[in-house]
Amino acid sequence: MTCESALALIPLYHYGELTPEREDSLEAHLHECGSCSQAMDRQRALARALDRRELQPPSLLVEDCRADLMAAIQGGAAGGARPPSKGLWTLFLEALGGTFAGMGRMRQPLAAAALVGLGFFGARLTGTKAAANAGNAVQPAYTTVRSISTTGAGRVEIAVDDTSRRVVSGGLDDPAIQQLVLAGSREDNPAVRVESVDLLKGRAASGEVRDALLNALAHDANPAVRMKALEGLKALAGDAQVRQVLAQALIKDDNDVIRMQAVDLLVAQRDDSMVGVLQNLVQHEDNNYVRLKVAKALKEMNASVGTF
Amino acid sequence: MPQDAAGTVGARMNPQVDSLIRAAQRGDQDAFEQLVRVYDQSVLRLAMNLLRSPEDARDVYQEAFLRVYRNLQTFRFDCSFHTWLYRIVTNICLDQLRKRKVRKEEAAVVETSEGPVDRMDLFEEEHAAADPERVTWNRQLGNRIESALGGLTPRERMVFELRHYQGLRLRAIGDILGTTEEAAKNCLFRATQKMRGVLGDFV
Repeated sequence: MTCESALALIPLYHYGELTPEREDSLEAHLHECGSCSQAMDRQRALARALDRRELQPPSLLVEDCRADLMAAIQGGAAGGARPPSKGLWTLFLEALGGTFAGMGRMRQPLAAAALVGLGFFGARLTGTKAAANAGNAVQPAYTTVRSISTTGAGRVEIAVDDTSRRVVSGGLDDPAIQQLVLAGSREDNPAVRVESVDLLKGRAASGEVRDALLNALAHDANPAVRMKALEGLKALAGDAQVRQVLAQALIKDDNDVIRMQAVDLLVAQRDDSMVGVLQNLVQHEDNNYVRLKVAKALKEMNASVGTF
Repeated sequence: MPQDAAGTVGARMNPQVDSLIRAAQRGDQDAFEQLVRVYDQSVLRLAMNLLRSPEDARDVYQEAFLRVYRNLQTFRFDCSFHTWLYRIVTNICLDQLRKRKVRKEEAAVVETSEGPVDRMDLFEEEHAAADPERVTWNRQLGNRIESALGGLTPRERMVFELRHYQGLRLRAIGDILGTTEEAAKNCLFRATQKMRGVLGDFV
């Protein structure tokens, strides 16, 4: 064995990554060669010096991280008391349905809970689709979507970071591309979310896409994203869950354009289950357009517009 | 029984892990919490050692386990859970390292009257009334080590961290990083060469 090849093997030898045969021949060389043997000593010294800088996370930090995580998942405040037995799904349904009492106050924590909830349970409902993609190299779980752009002819180009940076492209009918666009709708970068939801809005027939649009309308911080989600949900305005999210937007979205569109979609068809929500709204609504629309709809349903 | 690719953490050696995953996939929150507890300390340790900042490590922890939570349904047991989890974690950490490279920012270093110091060293010194000479020498060595590590590419840094501190086999590291054992080997070799070059007579 030459010194050059011995030096190349020393780090691997140190980490026990050589085959027994190569280990034997390296050891024989080290035994004979003083300078390579010194190189081996330096390797060990380097490792010892590096060992000394190793950090162990303080137990308090571990506990804090756990509390933060569970709070984010359960929708409570960090360090606060955990809801005793309510599952996420129950919390999510409560957030969407019922009387909407206290929704304004709870908006942020519930947003976090529902966002996670949809991802978790939405995926459960559509698990078979995810399985179909398991063999594909693109896995949204460990992929960060950097940017999304359309390249014409229905093709999309998506820049992603996973273990390395790359660009993937394909049609939206490709399940792997669709998964990435769905992942894009949950990215931190609002520009990526707008682009993703815009691409998804024509495909609300898929359960997974519908969930992503509902999630975006209910909880996205960016009005442009919520607007695009609302457009995508237009075709599904008859669906009970979609109507609940539309009602939620009508009550608490701070963007008037979104609320005006939501009311149009909601009152376009008679729905007696909305009477309570609409009656409550007509009492407190500041926006003339919304109030008149709601009052008209209530009148058509022969429901009282006044207080009761 | 096939050895888990990760080796040391022993995901497959713990017969409870698979049932925890399945229970969590059915929506059992307690099972998810227990599953997190099996792995979270080693995840946090990796993030702390790579990023040298408790705040950044905390962010990595949160993002990684939320991604696990959201995507657990897509885990099909076709690789070990440890490998799957570490793909998520290493991706997030690599992302952070790349951002730092772009910003040319040394988040881990703070300026003191004695020059730049790894903030983690300050953190440790608060707890140890060590002798001043030793502190100075350790600090110099520490700085040299940090600059040696800073000279590695994010990927070399990751391979080195996973092999040296987390004790994972190169084959498992290749699986995690979506590359071959041979490529991981080359990365480790380059990393140790670069460090020896920078550390010179210090070690």
